[in-house]
Parts: sequence; C-alpha cells; structure tokens
Amino acid sequence: MSDVAISARRLSPGTKAVLGIFARYGTIIGLLAMIVTFSILSPHAFPTVNNFTNVLNQASLAMIIAGGLTLAVVVGELDLSIGFAASLHGILITGLVVHDKLPIPLAVVIVIALGAVIGLVNGFIVTKVKVNSVIATLGVGTILTGLAFAYSAGVPIVAGVPEAFLQLSLGRWLFGIPNNIIVMILVLGGLWLLVERTPLGQEIQAVGGNAVAARLAGVNVDRIKILGFVISGMCAALTGILLASRLGSGTASAADSYLLTAFAAVFLGSATLRDGEFHVLGTLVGALIIAFGFNGLNIFGAPTFSQYVLQGAILIIAVGMASLGRSLAER
Amino acid sequence: MQTAFTRGAPQQAAPMTTPFLVAHDIAKAFGGAQALKGVSLDIAPGEIHGLVGANGAGKSTFIRILAGLNHPDAGRIEIDGQTREIATPQRATELGMSFIHQELAFVPGMTVLQNIMLGVPKKSRFGLTDWRAIARDVAPIARRVGISAPLNASVKGLSTAEIWLINICRALVRKARLIVMDEPTASLAASEAERLFAIVRDLSASGVAVLYISHRLDEVLNLCSRVSVFRDGRSVAELAGKGLNRPALVEAIVGGAIRDSQRTAATRPRGDVVMEASKLTRAPKVRGVSLKLHAGEVLGIGGLVGAGRTELARLLFGADRPDSGEMRLAGQPYQPASPAAAVRAGLGLIPEERRAEALFLSKSIAFNLSIANLDKLVHGRYLPLMNRRARTLMAGEMIRSLSIKARNASTPVGRLSGGNQQKVAIGRWLQRTPKVLILDEPTRGVDIGARAEIHRLIRQQADSGMAVLVISSEPDELPDLCDRVLVMAEGRIVRELTGQAVSRKAIVEASYVDPQALMEDHVA
Repeated sequence: MSDVAISARRLSPGTKAVLGIFARYGTIIGLLAMIVTFSILSPHAFPTVNNFTNVLNQASLAMIIAGGLTLAVVVGELDLSIGFAASLHGILITGLVVHDKLPIPLAVVIVIALGAVIGLVNGFIVTKVKVNSVIATLGVGTILTGLAFAYSAGVPIVAGVPEAFLQLSLGRWLFGIPNNIIVMILVLGGLWLLVERTPLGQEIQAVGGNAVAARLAGVNVDRIKILGFVISGMCAALTGILLASRLGSGTASAADSYLLTAFAAVFLGSATLRDGEFHVLGTLVGALIIAFGFNGLNIFGAPTFSQYVLQGAILIIAVGMASLGRSLAER
Repeated sequence: MQTAFTRGAPQQAAPMTTPFLVAHDIAKAFGGAQALKGVSLDIAPGEIHGLVGANGAGKSTFIRILAGLNHPDAGRIEIDGQTREIATPQRATELGMSFIHQELAFVPGMTVLQNIMLGVPKKSRFGLTDWRAIARDVAPIARRVGISAPLNASVKGLSTAEIWLINICRALVRKARLIVMDEPTASLAASEAERLFAIVRDLSASGVAVLYISHRLDEVLNLCSRVSVFRDGRSVAELAGKGLNRPALVEAIVGGAIRDSQRTAATRPRGDVVMEASKLTRAPKVRGVSLKLHAGEVLGIGGLVGAGRTELARLLFGADRPDSGEMRLAGQPYQPASPAAAVRAGLGLIPEERRAEALFLSKSIAFNLSIANLDKLVHGRYLPLMNRRARTLMAGEMIRSLSIKARNASTPVGRLSGGNQQKVAIGRWLQRTPKVLILDEPTRGVDIGARAEIHRLIRQQADSGMAVLVISSEPDELPDLCDRVLVMAEGRIVRELTGQAVSRKAIVEASYVDPQALMEDHVA
C-alpha cells in the first residue's frame, strides 16, 4: 500500500486523468474491446443480429436476478439466498402448473409473492434480529434448498409441462424479440427508474452511502433495507420462473449457479461509471461482459471449465483495476 | 501458590532533585491551528501531578507528544535530565512512560494475563511463549494493584474498574516510571474511584510518578501535590501548597484577565414554549434533564465534552429512547420512535460528526440538500418521480443564499471544505423550516469566515421564529450566539444563564461545578 502511495506521488496530472477515466470507463472499454476482438476473429459467427439476440436472450435471466441483487447491495447488504431461492421457485412453479393445474398467471403471481416473502424474511432477520446479512441469507438459502428437495422429493418434474408454460420463456413478442429480453428490459428499466429517479430511490442510495447519516436525516433505514431484500427476492423468483420455462422442467438445484454470475455482474458493475458504487446500469454492463465472454469462448469451442476461469478472472481484474486506478487518480 | 518472587518497586537511583520529566516550551500546530503555543511542565519521581484545562486547551496534544504519537514543532523534552526525542510510542515506553487513555486498551476475548501482557515483550522457551514463567512474574504485581480475578480468567464480564487495573498492571510490568492517566474516573462509580485513588497513592509511594488529567477538580485537589493548568495552548499556571485550591484552579482555567467578548446576541423577544422536556433520563449520560425551548430563541447547551449534551440531543431527536421522563412538542406529548418520526414532527438535527453522521460524501450537493426534502421535489401525485429540475434549482438557490463555495450543485460534498460541508448540512433542514433545529458543535473545524456566516444563519432562523438549540464546547461560541445558556455537567443541567449573565467565564465555571452539590440546591 505504501509502495503504491510513494509511486503515486510522481504521477503527472495527465496520467492521473487517464487513470481516473480508466477507473470509470474501464469495464465499458473492456466490453467494447471484447466485442471488437471476437468480431475480427470470427466475422461470420459472432457479429450477427442472430448471435447478439441469442446472447441477450441467454443472459436475460442472469441480468434479472443480478438486477435484484443490485438493490440488496445498494442498501449495503448481501443476499446469498437468490440462487437457491430461484431453484425453489422454478420447481414450485412447475409443480403448481403441472400437478396442481393452476392457471399460469396465477402460478406466476403466487411464486413472485413467495419471492417477496423470502425477501421480507431475509430483511427482517438482518434489520430486526440484527444477523449479518451473509449469515442470514446463507441460512435462509440453505433452508430453501431443503424445501426444494422436499417439494420435489429429489426428482425433477419433467413430464406434462404444458406448451403455454414453455412459451413464457421461449416465446417471442414485438418484432420477434424473445420474451426473456423484453422482461429483462422491463425489470432493469423499472429498477433503474426506481433507484435513480424516484424519491424512494434517493433514500435507497442514502442508506447505501451512509446509513447513520440517512437515519439522522429522517430516513427509515430498516424499511429501506427490507425493501432491498424484497426486490432481490422478487427478481430471484422471476428468474426461477423463466428458467423453469426455458428448461421445461423443475430441478431442485437448477438455478444455484446464478448466485455467482449475479455477484460477478453486480461487482463488475460497481467498477463502471461510478467510483465503486453499485448501480443498475453498471450491473447491466457487468452482465453483458460475462455473457459476451462466455459466448465468444463457446464460438471458439473453448472447454466449459474455461468459462468459470474467465468469469472469475474478469471479475478480479476489472474490479481490481478500477479500484487501483481510482486510488491512484485521487492522490 | 507460586513461590513469592517479589520484584522491588521500579525505582531508579535518580536523586529526588532531578525531575523525571521536564517539558520546555513545547509548541505544535496542526494545519493552521496552533494547538500548543508553548507549554512547560516538570514531574518529579513519585509525584502525583495534576493537569487541568478547558476543552481545546491543549492537554490531549501534549499527551500525544509525550506518547510519541505527535512530534513537537518546537521545545525540548528531558527525561532524567537528558534531552530525549520521543519518535515513536515504543520509544515512549522505553523511556519509562505508560499511558492509560479514557478508552481502555483491552481485548475482550483474552485472559487477564494475556491482556496484561498486551504488547509487552514476553519470555519464551524454545521459541514458545512461556506463560507459566510470565504468570509467576506478573502475579505479585497483579496482587499489589488488587486484581482479584485469576490471571487465567477471561476478561469478559469484568468491570471497567478491573479493566483499568489491568492497564495499570501492564504499565508496571513495563517498569513504567510515569503513568499518564486521562480522565481515569470518567466511567467509574464512586466506590471504584476511591479504590483507584488508593492505588494512585500507592504508586506514588513506590516512586512511580503519575500525571493525572481530570475535569473533576475535587479529585485533582485531593490527589495532587502540584497542578499545571493549560489554557489556549499555554501552560498558564502551576499551583501547589496553599495556592492550590478550587477558586484558584477555576480562575486559571477560565482566565480571569480575558474580557468577555461583546454580547452580540441581544436578548430577543421570545415566543411560546415549543419544546419541553421534563426529567429526561437515559443512564448514564443524561440524568433528569428538564428544559423549555421557546420559539425565536437560540438556546445554548454548554459544558465539558462528555457532559451528556450530544446524548441529550439524540433523545430529543428520537435517535435514542429515554429510560424515563417526558417530552412535549407544541403542547402535545412527543415520543419520537425514530429520527424519521422526529423529522415528521418538525425537528432537524445537525450532528456533531458531520462527515460520519450528516453527509453523503460521494454524493452531490443537490443529493445531500434534498435527502430530507424528497416529498417536496416530486413531479406530482400521479408521477412519483424526482423533479430533477426543481432539485437543481433548489440546490442552486441554497448554494447562493448560504454562499456555499462550490462549482455547481453536482459537486460531491466530500470535495468541499469543512465550513461549506457544514452549510450543506444546515441547508438540508432550512428547506423544511423545522419548528426546532438542533445544532451539535455547528462550527467545529470551520474557518473564522464560515463561522461568522453560520452564526448569522442561525440567528436568522431564530429571528424568523424557529426554536434553535446549539451545543458547543467552544467557550466563546455560546455567548456570541445564544440568548440563554444551560450548562450541563455529568448528565445534569447545573446552571441556567440568561441575558448579560451569559459569559465565557460563567459557562466554564458552571461546567466544573460539582453536580452532587447542586442537586441538593435544586431539591431545597
């Protein structure tokens, strides 16, 4: 740390400005560079409308759950229950539709409401019982996994999934845009509007910025934190529903891996445009980086394990560079 | 249980005529502020030397210099007659000085012995710490200072007094020849304090000198043979023998020669009682405080740091709940469950630690100004979005009317100077025109120009009918600003000063009044 400090003193103002720009726009530059590189290396497969639509369609589910997670981290908490919750939601909606023969809209409403309740429980444990959010949401997430296995008795629900349910995710609407993308745009657009443009959003940002000051400015901090968890829970439910529809089945751990992807997207996003703050637009950029990175590797036939290595490496490099650039530029 | 291995009292062969410590004309500036302008002091081996002075007199800076935490700009320190430079805290320890701060140093999860040996070089055998040998060495010292808990017991659950003894024991293990004690009785009960005095006297008898810093003058008079008084960064008096008495101490602390600045705050006609508290208590910091706050007046709360003023403000603002007592706001019972409720009821608070408790440093001026006024900055009932244009206009207007020096409303507050940050913190509430505005240390760390502007601003609000409560530790601030001043000491209001009686001297004098004695007055 002191080595960095000493060398930073010799930086010229010009260098500092460049570093400052890199800290804010590094992730976006990286995303564009990646797209350009893949386009040059694979001009026929990569830069096509079809492929881009496909990438977005694939990434939409991760973007929705990451958008929800953004709200939890904006208010200064972590939500580790989302992946497990989404898995439970997926199996539950399949069950409601296949076994209980509920109308699909009703089933969707029930599952999203359950997502809100899970968020409420998380928020309550964190704010009122005052359990650290990592522990609280990990505990709740583990319980949800147990419930998912109990509900499905460990067997995936595959048979008898109605076509209408599959169409939730596979269908297209408006100029043939896949439903997933439309839902994603609505959710992220709504979240962006909420956080950036509403009075409630100002309070949300205030709580994340300085919870003590927010409280003394008259903000109900606990309520805002609970709201963050509720939105996170509802987005996890939505992702779980769409995933079950895409897979055409409910499996007890289908969505677990979304937890890592969502965290990667959210933290990549914190290194975007703003100095280390979490925000919805940043999360979108983060999710795009991961999606295009995966897609590029797929096109070049890279083995699956490399995707995980890439996801981890991008995350550390991007967040690390941004934070280093920021601290150097500020001296 | 162990064989008695009694270490002699850590005495040195220095003759009594050579003081252990001499400080000559120590000066120290922080940025532009001259914290110490020249203090001198000497301490003989085994002497209990008192050090008193008002807030900001320079006591803390002086101790930090002795401890090697700050380095003097000018002056000289001698130990045993030799000029020494105290470059680091380690050096201070080597030279035989130990420091017991108000916030006692201990690790809750460790044993008594581990805490005693915290940061002390330890005996080892085969590269492993030899705790048995250490326990053998420490046991007699622990017995001597009266640690009753077994050395291998956890410190969890021990009282503050016992933790204090552990700190003393650590100083003795390090063979300290001077122990500096900063407000040692601040959080002790009366009986515990008695025990502490006995130990201090015992230390003195065994040749260990004590520098005893306290706001409690009675203790200082009881214990100390000599007392140094600091005022405004200078050592202004050294009292001993017959000259050492309470009036002389108060006189030296306040500075009899200093004329009170002109009372600029003329007594304004005041309106009805807006806020009322009766017997408000939250132990141990606030004890039975009753006050009335009128519309259109600036009411000051004076007293020493730690007198319970900030805690009182937090009760009024709903940030903490009182144990007992009642509050009324505009005649109605008032029991705020949270700051949010207090804000709705018409209060505003500008807290003491503005960077930590008031501001969102990475956010813009506009964001910081609008956070308590969001309801007023919405497009409309049917479009619940922020009216960003209205917000920018509002912020621009505030920046102009409070003359906040910033490029524009989107400048992050963290980039502003202290005075401008404070104006933003105040501006936040002015939007709402609250019934009651509470300002805790409104001009701390603020330059003179901004201070005058903030004062003008505060009086303006009172002129327009707001009830304003100002807490300040700066002796000159309250006479300048307030119509009426209540002085708090040890959680109680010990004096009310009105009109021309409000003076720096009266406030400081009252701050040192023994609250026990005064409580009897009130009962009578």
